[in-house]
Amino acid sequence: MMRAALAILKKDLRMEFRSKESILAMWIFSLLIFVIFNFTFEVSRLVMLEIAPGLLWVAFVFSGMFGLNQSFAVEKENGNLRAMALMPVDGGEIYVGKFLSATLIMLMFEALIFPIFIIFYDLQLSLEMFKLIPVLLAGTIGFTSLGTILSAVAVHTRNQQILLSLLLWPLVSPIIIWSVTLTGMVLSGEITQAFYPLLMRVGAFDVIFFTLAYMLFDFILED
Amino acid sequence: MRSKIDKSLLIVLLLAFLACIYLIFQWVPQIKASNPAEQIAQRIFYFHVPSAWLGFLAFFVVFCSSIAYLATRNRKYELISVASAEIGVLFITLVLITGPIWAKPVWGIWWTWDVRLTSSLILWLIYVAFIMLRRYLPDGSKRANLSAVVGIIGFMDVPIVYYSIRWWETQHPKAVMASSEGSLAAPMFFAFMFSLATFTLLYVYLMRKRFQLLTLEDTLNKQFKEMEIL
Repeated sequence: MMRAALAILKKDLRMEFRSKESILAMWIFSLLIFVIFNFTFEVSRLVMLEIAPGLLWVAFVFSGMFGLNQSFAVEKENGNLRAMALMPVDGGEIYVGKFLSATLIMLMFEALIFPIFIIFYDLQLSLEMFKLIPVLLAGTIGFTSLGTILSAVAVHTRNQQILLSLLLWPLVSPIIIWSVTLTGMVLSGEITQAFYPLLMRVGAFDVIFFTLAYMLFDFILED
Repeated sequence: MRSKIDKSLLIVLLLAFLACIYLIFQWVPQIKASNPAEQIAQRIFYFHVPSAWLGFLAFFVVFCSSIAYLATRNRKYELISVASAEIGVLFITLVLITGPIWAKPVWGIWWTWDVRLTSSLILWLIYVAFIMLRRYLPDGSKRANLSAVVGIIGFMDVPIVYYSIRWWETQHPKAVMASSEGSLAAPMFFAFMFSLATFTLLYVYLMRKRFQLLTLEDTLNKQFKEMEIL
């Protein structure tokens, strides 16, 4: 069980660690977003603190889009996608492999950009910050579970990068909106009673999107 | 293709819309509101809400026919889902146009980034992307498969839009029909139901027409392909 998924995951991670293409590009791109935001919205520190959670997720999602575009583009280049379709395994397994690699790469990138974010926006480190971990996990899984399957859809089109954005952005927006709210609660230190139910809701949507994508992935591979 | 059913449907639709206009603008009593502009603007409700309901219905049809396509591989279902997505986008466009017309006199602004408004716009974007996806894909079973998958996943956001008024605080008026707090006076209820029925009929008519057109296009394309082979 799941041997193919693990093999795909290993292959993707090895590729990533050798080239460091995705993570490095995502990281630099996020820095750029911080810089551009800073001089397009010249606001006071207080306002900056208020928009910081949104900014963090904008950086995650825009950079994540880059990683997702790569995810299936590299498979298509040498006809790998067809080879995958021919593998005698369930399509869902291929999905799981691609999903895991996209998620892990995204999480590594998030871990690398977060310290910069803390420094740039002069946020206070505290134990409360650990509550950000489930938030980032839930939001990222929602983003990559949808993103992986839509990336596999978009890779068949002429204009895959723009189409992936058009498909993924509106669909993932509820998850992103909730993640921003949750991140805001943690960063401002005002965790209200609404925190856990909202986190559960993000988790519930993660499960829905993941399960659906897992079931439907076979149809995307077949010719 | 011009069937008798379509012709009679069209006549019924014309009469029903005339009756709708009479009911909404003449027959329904004026609502009590402090703002006189609101009294008139409120009547847009009879177009706004049925359009929204039909948008949801249309997307539900996309969802069901996408599943049906993947289960049966019958091209008919693919065309149904395309037709329904297009008409759904049309109805949600109407919602997004009639909403601001109402909001300007009542709220004083055309648009606000309220949850209900934002989520309706997101819904519109999802199905516009669905239609665009088809334009970017070459014709064939691959396209049918991919759009069916997106048709199924896309529908997952529809409940979020529907429940957005309960989950978040919103300025948007509460659902008067589905909740226990607010209820409509009898004549208003009748006019609303009549309008809803008329809009549903319009959906059926548009679906039939669009489906016929898509089938024609399909046959034509097939014939062209055969000619190319020769």
